Amino acid sequence: MFQSRVARRQWMNQMVLILSTGAAILGIIMLVWILGDVTVRGFQAVNWNFFTELPVPPGELGGGLANAIVGTLLMTVFAALIAVPVGVMAGTYLSEFGQHNLFGNLVRSLSDILVSAPSIVVGVFVYLVMVKTTGHFSGWAGAISLAILMLPVVIRTTEEMLRMVPSEMREAALALGAPYWKVMVYVVFRAAKDGLITGIMLAIARVAGETAPLLFTAMNSPYWMESMNEPMANLTVTLFNYAMSPYDDWQQLAWGAAFVITASVLLVTITTRLILTGRSKH
Amino acid sequence: MNPQNKEQAEIKIAVKNLNFFYGDKQALFDNTLDIVANKATAFIGPSGCGKSTHIRCYNRMFNLYKGHRGEGEILFDGQNILNPDVPELELRHRVGMIFQKPTPFPMTVYDNIAYGLKLHGNYSGSELDGRVEKALQDGALWNEVKDSLHKPGTALSGGQQQRLCIARAIAVQPEVILMDEPCSALDPIATSKIEELIDELKKKFTIVIVTHSMQQAARVSDFTAYFYLGKLMEYGDTNAIFTSPQRQETEDYITGRFG
Amino acid sequence: MSTASPSKSGFTSDQVFRFLTSAFAAFIAILFIVMLSVLWHESQPSIDKFGFSFLTSSAWNPVTNEYGALIAIVGTLLTTTVAMAIALPISLGIALFLAEISPYWMRRPVGTAIELLAAIPSIVYGMWGLFVIVPIMASSIEPWMYEHLSFIPLFSSPPLGIGILTAGLVLALMVIPFIAAITRDVFLMCPQNLKEAAYGLGATKWEVVRDVMIPYGIKGIVGGVFLGLGRALGETMAVTFVIGNAYHLSWSLLAPGNSIASTLANEFTEADGELYTSSLIELGLVLFLITFIVLSLAQFWLHTSNKKRGG
Repeated sequence: MFQSRVARRQWMNQMVLILSTGAAILGIIMLVWILGDVTVRGFQAVNWNFFTELPVPPGELGGGLANAIVGTLLMTVFAALIAVPVGVMAGTYLSEFGQHNLFGNLVRSLSDILVSAPSIVVGVFVYLVMVKTTGHFSGWAGAISLAILMLPVVIRTTEEMLRMVPSEMREAALALGAPYWKVMVYVVFRAAKDGLITGIMLAIARVAGETAPLLFTAMNSPYWMESMNEPMANLTVTLFNYAMSPYDDWQQLAWGAAFVITASVLLVTITTRLILTGRSKH
Repeated sequence: MNPQNKEQAEIKIAVKNLNFFYGDKQALFDNTLDIVANKATAFIGPSGCGKSTHIRCYNRMFNLYKGHRGEGEILFDGQNILNPDVPELELRHRVGMIFQKPTPFPMTVYDNIAYGLKLHGNYSGSELDGRVEKALQDGALWNEVKDSLHKPGTALSGGQQQRLCIARAIAVQPEVILMDEPCSALDPIATSKIEELIDELKKKFTIVIVTHSMQQAARVSDFTAYFYLGKLMEYGDTNAIFTSPQRQETEDYITGRFG
Repeated sequence: MSTASPSKSGFTSDQVFRFLTSAFAAFIAILFIVMLSVLWHESQPSIDKFGFSFLTSSAWNPVTNEYGALIAIVGTLLTTTVAMAIALPISLGIALFLAEISPYWMRRPVGTAIELLAAIPSIVYGMWGLFVIVPIMASSIEPWMYEHLSFIPLFSSPPLGIGILTAGLVLALMVIPFIAAITRDVFLMCPQNLKEAAYGLGATKWEVVRDVMIPYGIKGIVGGVFLGLGRALGETMAVTFVIGNAYHLSWSLLAPGNSIASTLANEFTEADGELYTSSLIELGLVLFLITFIVLSLAQFWLHTSNKKRGG
């Protein structure tokens, strides 16, 4: 009886371990497959023209996505310029003043919900308030959509990183007679700097690859932008349009766009991580 | 090394030439000693002397980690438990362990005790109730928790949590209970309760307790072993060790001149 | 002179600091309310016309100007269910493998790879699904299902490659690294002595995971799963490429369908007429509310279970 019970438990254990290893192998194969395809097929599409030329109609040779690359960069940078200050301030409130009060909890819950809010609905919202009212798609609308998506991520990251700074450090600085805001600026933010920068870079990387919120805001354009106030070319929507098109050379360019987006997002992610681990070793 | 006046005593665990390695680093050197049944044996020595490493061999806990390995013989009722053929689950059924910090599982008080029982046997609901109550009584905790059996184990105080862990260990009726500095995270009152409990428990179980408190070793143990740098320096009757140690190092440690 | 003393305006610098940060915190709450009200307001033509039947009608016809959300809601829920059914066991398996089973030298590189995969934009998954997964589904997997399993309503329509099942699969691939990375982190946070205590009682590795590690980290795991679920519900690009964009209600997972997000992506810019646009906006509102409800339930559950376990 004892023997068979142990045997049964051990059999169960073995089964779970095997299944788990199998799941891991399966998952890893699928994911390596995706990365491999994007790299191999994308690499074939990427050349000098890809980065310097404007798109051309299907069938013509030598087009590129220069305007889309610049457009994505511009909108991402402006989104970060809007979302980071707002998010850091709001995150500071949550960490320093809003840990246990109703308002703090409300803001925290709303941020958590907005982190997972459907990005396409954010696109619809910005369309209604910025595109419908002005009568035209614009780079600004795209940047605002991305900023709205970044904001809750920045808030929660800021809160987490500031909370990791031990309260003794705040108390030590306050005991020297410094006002709270100076303690925050000169001590706490400084102590949390690495974590904050990483969190913000990861949030930027995440929105840089967003498509859905741009569909109805920045839309897309085959031309160079003159200002942020007009429809703006960007990599992800271009990828979407080209991949869904029936033309081989456009589909080829779409793979190129996928490769460039993936590579830059991963590059940002890896670099921030490396810098961070490199620092923490000292 | 043998404790004195062990002639009539039954030997529960006989350790012969135990060597232990963390990867390339050797942590135990040729430890040889006998643990007497139904007595409390205390292991003392400065931090890092190998006393914890030593008892973690008795239930092969080191097997969880890569590169940790023990060599030599640990005869448990005559069977060498370092031999991989000895099934680990059964071994750990027979050898219970208590840790430095209390380790209540994330479940209710009742389920904490019932957990080990459910692992090793089939019990009906009323049988289980009976055994849980018995274990909590033996763990000197029943009166304090009988009205809160279905509260989380983590809600108890530190000392209660540690007694919960002891009750959990004795519920499955092991033969040996290993205690790795069981009171180091507790206040003096909780500590004295655990010490009283140990006194009671050794009637039924063989107890090996690692402690950094000389007073505790003197209070609870029948035999004491002094470890230094992975070597067993001296082993014998607790009174003898504390009153007339054979070696200068032991005396220095006990009198507080060192460590 | 102390900087904390009242300035001319009568406030200390710290009061100003506190007020400023709380104003920015209020901004997100205001944003949330404005979003809901704008969507609600702009949905009015559709709400007035169809009322509650919008949610239960399977009509979607720009020609007759009749709109109902049922097909898109069902498509959203079905793809998400398929995705979570595939993703949950696999992500837990990966997490368990990385935290407990794999050789030590593998843990860091494989763990980092999984985290990086979670960072790949969803549109890349969608595009890859269209060009790589769809042909495989169309040529081998779905025909096999249709041949052998078509007595089950779920597999009772001719295989096309695109459809609910493929969309669910691509969604699953997208959320697997996300859930796996979170769950792995949670497993790693389980204190070593707690695990040793369970091993010390004679538990097997699986028993330690099931009875100690999962209960210990259940809050984080459920949180991670719900975040993944939220992502899957609202995901647009991974789905739009492969779901097939068709409007008929079917029980079959092999049939093409539509999700709320894919409907919006495909039709919003082309919609003409107030009712059409407003129906699409109401669709967006419905999606927003579904994710809102799911995520609020998760938060509620986490808070109450927290109290119950005293953790």
